[in-house]
Amino acid sequence: MTVLFYIAGAVAVIATGMVITRRKAIHALLYLVVSFLALALVFYVLGAPFVAALEVIVYAGAIMVLFLFALMLIDAGRAEEARERDWMRPRAWIVPSVLSAALLAEVVYLLARGGVPGRTAAGAAAAGGAAGVGGAAGEAAAQVKAVGIALFGPYLLGVELASILLLAGLVAAHHLTVDLDSEDGETAGAADSGAPGRTRQKGGRP
Amino acid sequence: MPDTAWHIIEVVVMLLLPLLMAGGLTVVERRLLGQLQDRYGPNRVGVMGEMQVLADAVKLLGKEDWIPPFADRPVFVAAPAIILMSVLASFAVIPLTSGFAVADLNVGLLFFLAMSSLGVYSVALAGWSSRSKYPLLGGLRAAAQLLGYEVFMGMSLLGVVMMAGSFDLSTIVEGQRGLWYVGPQFVGFVVFFIAGLAETRRTPFDLPEAESELVAGYHAEYSAMKFGIFYVGEYLGITLVSALMTVLFFGGWLGPILPGWTWFLLKTSILILVVIVVRAALPRVRYDQLMSFGWKVMLPLTLINLLVTAAVILAT
Amino acid sequence: MVSPTIDLVIEFALMLAIGAAMAILFLFISHLLAPKSKNPNKDQPYECGVVPESDARAPMNVHYYLVAVLFVLFDLEAVFIYPWAISLRELGTSALVEMFVFIVILLVGYFYAWKKGVFEWE
Repeated sequence: MTVLFYIAGAVAVIATGMVITRRKAIHALLYLVVSFLALALVFYVLGAPFVAALEVIVYAGAIMVLFLFALMLIDAGRAEEARERDWMRPRAWIVPSVLSAALLAEVVYLLARGGVPGRTAAGAAAAGGAAGVGGAAGEAAAQVKAVGIALFGPYLLGVELASILLLAGLVAAHHLTVDLDSEDGETAGAADSGAPGRTRQKGGRP
Repeated sequence: MPDTAWHIIEVVVMLLLPLLMAGGLTVVERRLLGQLQDRYGPNRVGVMGEMQVLADAVKLLGKEDWIPPFADRPVFVAAPAIILMSVLASFAVIPLTSGFAVADLNVGLLFFLAMSSLGVYSVALAGWSSRSKYPLLGGLRAAAQLLGYEVFMGMSLLGVVMMAGSFDLSTIVEGQRGLWYVGPQFVGFVVFFIAGLAETRRTPFDLPEAESELVAGYHAEYSAMKFGIFYVGEYLGITLVSALMTVLFFGGWLGPILPGWTWFLLKTSILILVVIVVRAALPRVRYDQLMSFGWKVMLPLTLINLLVTAAVILAT
Repeated sequence: MVSPTIDLVIEFALMLAIGAAMAILFLFISHLLAPKSKNPNKDQPYECGVVPESDARAPMNVHYYLVAVLFVLFDLEAVFIYPWAISLRELGTSALVEMFVFIVILLVGYFYAWKKGVFEWE
């Protein structure tokens, strides 16, 4: 259990490091997907299979695909790479990394001292998972139900608000793309009756 | 330790079985399509052409494995690997018979959805990394199509989830002892079948690789074994969707007299044949029809099915 | 006996490893067997024999991006429905009304997008 956790954690950290240092945006994105998959495994090993599945479905499978589309849409090629290379100069990253290293040192110190409140509980849970073989599966199944009961019980308002948020996203997405669509600053009204700006599109012609 | 041995047997069976079925399918499909179109199909190698698989494999192995110099090398190589891995991984949660699954996850169905959502990367990246116009268009089309149909593919299965009260595939099969879910969840089945065809990019939804307009679509620049992986990946996808339909709607391994796994294989094979016959029977749809059909017909239908199923379950 | 969680992960990893090993083996065999040849014409993108005019890295139709955004939105909707579906029996009738409200709010946006022609593809 612990070994798997640390392997997955290490993969996540390394992959995230690669995300920062890649020059091509698509390569960075692929590493980010790997990082999310590793994170999902971490969740699974910690005994939260539902969260693990959602991590893959929502982050790796949906939001990253959106990023991929955006990258394919604005693919800038060489110029982009040159700019990334520029950002890789020590002058650009040395101060942020020193600051982050200080934070990391604090975290490592706390972990080594055993002073993090959650750590003992997590350790106990891990030990319980390793020992209580029979109960684990049923417990996890009940966990998903518990999520549902909590969401549609005390947190109902949050769920309905999320729905309104999604609605806003839907409307915003439409307006965002319509304005891009009709190139030369046509008003959104033109989109209703087959905007002329749309006919010169590259893809999707039947 | 017999326990370990048993696990290894499970792994090997669940790997080899789908691969063998997918390999066999490449010939079965061509033979069957030939018969349906009143011609022979491949019938030269072996007694009835069944050794064509081997001939094809040897041929693919003997071709130059060419990576275009203008392509993005690492991504170009990763794209076929992603599709093979994501489909093979999904087979891990399919229960072949009672207690026989590589990973009997309690969120098995969500696992399948998660893996199939990763399949989008394969086609989009294959198209993008080829740095060539036809593959790019094919990849974009494929990605948009997969996204559009994935939305309600997940939701079409929720009727089954509600009836069984579980995401666990074995529990879902056990829940069908009295009545197969294809009866009460007929709408869900039809929607999932159509979404499954679109997800595996089968006719009538094979626009991403429409040879008459896009050459071979997103894998036009692929050759030799990398093309072979895409090819096998497509048939693995069909096998997976058929196996999943068997589990979710046709009672999985349940059946009289014969052992469970024979029932499972029988039902899966019949569904695969249906998929092939659909290819012979239907023409390719237009891309705008495909997209608007998904959003305008299937999505509302799925939501209505969802609410009606919930109401019926609560009423009884 | 080890815990079932570990068991699952290891079995699963084994499956992926064997799958990957087979794929790599095939690619390796093909690498050994296959001929290699060089030809300047081969180093061009395939465009049915026509000499390629421009780079394939051209901007694409923004409609594809819109589809991706819609997908994310409805995927998130589905994520809320999953736990609802599985705990429906425990939640009872009130949950049905709650989900109805949830879906109706989204349907407002859905019909708005429909009217605006988002689902039309030229």
